[in-house]
Amino acid sequence: MQVTLKIERYNPESDESRQETFTVDVVEEATLLDVLDVIKDEVDGSLTYRKSCRMAVCGSCGMRMDGAAVLACKTPMRPVVEAGEVPVISPMGNLPVLKDLVVDMEPFWAKFRAIKPYLDDGGEEPPVKEWRIQQEELDRVMTEALCIQCGCCVSECNSMEADPDFLGPAALAKAARFVNDVRDRGGKSRLEIYNGPHGVWDCTRCYFCNQRCPKGVHPRDAIAKVGAAIYQEGMHSDGGARHAKVFVKSTHQTGYLLETHLVPETVGAVNAIKEIPFALRLARAGKVPNPLKPHKAKKLDEVRKLNKLIESQEQATLEAANAGPTRPPADPAQAKESE
Amino acid sequence: MKSSYAYYPGCLASLSQKELDTSTRAIADKLGMTLVDIPGFTCCGAGDVHEARPEYYLHLNARILGQAEQLGQDTLMTICNVCTLNLRQANAKLQADPELLQRVNRNLKEVGAASYSGGVDVRHLLWEIAEGDGYEKLKQIAEKPLTGVKIAPFYGCQILRPSRLLGFEDPDRPQSLERIIEACGAEPVDYPSKIKCCGFPIVLARAEVALGELIQPLAEAKEAGADAMVTPCPLCHLSLDAWQGKASREADMEFDLPIFHLAQLVGAAAGLSYDELQFKRHIVKAYPVTDKIYQGV
Ligand code: SF4
Ligand code: SF4
Ligand code: SF4
Ligand code: SF4
Ligand code: FES
Repeated sequence: MQVTLKIERYNPESDESRQETFTVDVVEEATLLDVLDVIKDEVDGSLTYRKSCRMAVCGSCGMRMDGAAVLACKTPMRPVVEAGEVPVISPMGNLPVLKDLVVDMEPFWAKFRAIKPYLDDGGEEPPVKEWRIQQEELDRVMTEALCIQCGCCVSECNSMEADPDFLGPAALAKAARFVNDVRDRGGKSRLEIYNGPHGVWDCTRCYFCNQRCPKGVHPRDAIAKVGAAIYQEGMHSDGGARHAKVFVKSTHQTGYLLETHLVPETVGAVNAIKEIPFALRLARAGKVPNPLKPHKAKKLDEVRKLNKLIESQEQATLEAANAGPTRPPADPAQAKESE
Repeated sequence: MKSSYAYYPGCLASLSQKELDTSTRAIADKLGMTLVDIPGFTCCGAGDVHEARPEYYLHLNARILGQAEQLGQDTLMTICNVCTLNLRQANAKLQADPELLQRVNRNLKEVGAASYSGGVDVRHLLWEIAEGDGYEKLKQIAEKPLTGVKIAPFYGCQILRPSRLLGFEDPDRPQSLERIIEACGAEPVDYPSKIKCCGFPIVLARAEVALGELIQPLAEAKEAGADAMVTPCPLCHLSLDAWQGKASREADMEFDLPIFHLAQLVGAAAGLSYDELQFKRHIVKAYPVTDKIYQGV
């Protein structure tokens, strides 16, 4: 099978960028990584990219194909060839390019370090050698534990494009992995890190991370889990959490979004005053519903009761989670018996 | 396309984005779709309740789906990206897990709400008219082709991604809006950010980040020569339209780009008037384009 690729090249010594077209013959089963290997072996030895495991485990070979981040070793080329396409291969986005398809992962690792990517057991001694947890407790963090740190989710993260300091999907998915680990005792101090100005509330929910992740980590869903932990801990200092609070309150009071509450309750009354000219413009177009006569959903009592009922169930779950891992008995003989 | 749907306008189209609800009802008539109102529907909770109170979100959406079922409808039609993802995600979860469905139904029953058996499909208006007989019908009703009008399609995020839950088309190379623009006799304009985010979910909590996101599609569409932009989402619309002035000041560029709701685009091609489609409710004045459409200037 003949494959043609247009590859974005960058030479840091001369600071030159160009696009080069390569055509090579490869086996039918060839992945994008195989094609790059053939080009490097047979055509241009200076072509630079990262690889190691060749089996979607090490996370080295993230790059873009037609603007979408993929693992080169997990991308079969046959469908592309059959569709008659000549894809553009370029380095991942949101990270500085070092050479050709290689990006500098340092900013990515710095964000990992920032989220405290290790278990904080609060210095407590485990009762028997180690903290033992139940299968269901492990299941709560398994999805996020699948991450191979390839960076594909970061590549197209829309919030990171606009705010390069945003902790981003990979680091925050790792955060969720610890937040939901029953052995972790980080509690509020851990959550404070994620509640910061470049934390969870920076995420714009573009869902590029879920779309791109080659390991099914669903980072956006992980971020929501961290957001939920922050919110349900009662940490409502951030505009993002206050925004969510208006929504919860709205469903309770009228069943519909209380739009007029969003601005003052998210940005604060003082900042809201600055928004008055803007609000007047909206009002003139008929975009501001009358706050004194809110539109109310029918059968609202159902929703109100539902809110209260679920809230009590949530509290029970939260308390159970905060109680920590199912501690095995301290006496090893007893432990043996219970096994 | 079905002949009847349980119709879920969502709360924004019932409140500040009323023109979308009105236009949708108007084109449904032309298309021969019966929209059955869901009495007692509420907000789907958007990404916010979904994030802060995932269990409550799940129940709110199960309740809406149950109400649709109670009306004897097997398809619920949405007109908002965020509602679409929210409802489809809840639906997929409930359909895949009978135990969960049972638990949710127990709670619904306890508060006196309709239960849900899992038998409703959630579809966005866009999908119903972008292919098959819906598309044929659209071509038939588009008797006033918008000749010479250049329209930039803006998809927004939550109608495309994650495709595991939405899955109507290739999330990186969508074509549904382009096809609809063509059926309306206008010319689609291509630009890279048409699949990116408008920043709406964080426009209040992180204004600067959101404006940074909003500027991109506006600037690119303008650069590509668009007369107007069309979006299938009232939240995208709110940020592209109402926040356009702020984006314009931030970027120091004049955008002056009228933003159409999908239903307004279809309505205009179907001969519905400026007033019927309530273009006057927009913040960015629509008449530079609507004059071109209605008076051929
Ligand atoms: S979350 Fe997925 S895409 Fe992101 S780094 Fe981990 S494995 Fe890669
Ligand atoms: S959903 Fe959030 S974290 Fe994921 S890519 Fe978009 S902005 Fe980034
Ligand atoms: S997405 Fe927004 S507008 Fe649509 S129903 Fe949900 S909360 Fe309301
Ligand atoms: S583009 Fe904006 S409003 Fe539209 S779906 Fe994305 S975030 Fe929501
Ligand atoms: S080479 Fe290891 S993930 Fe691709």
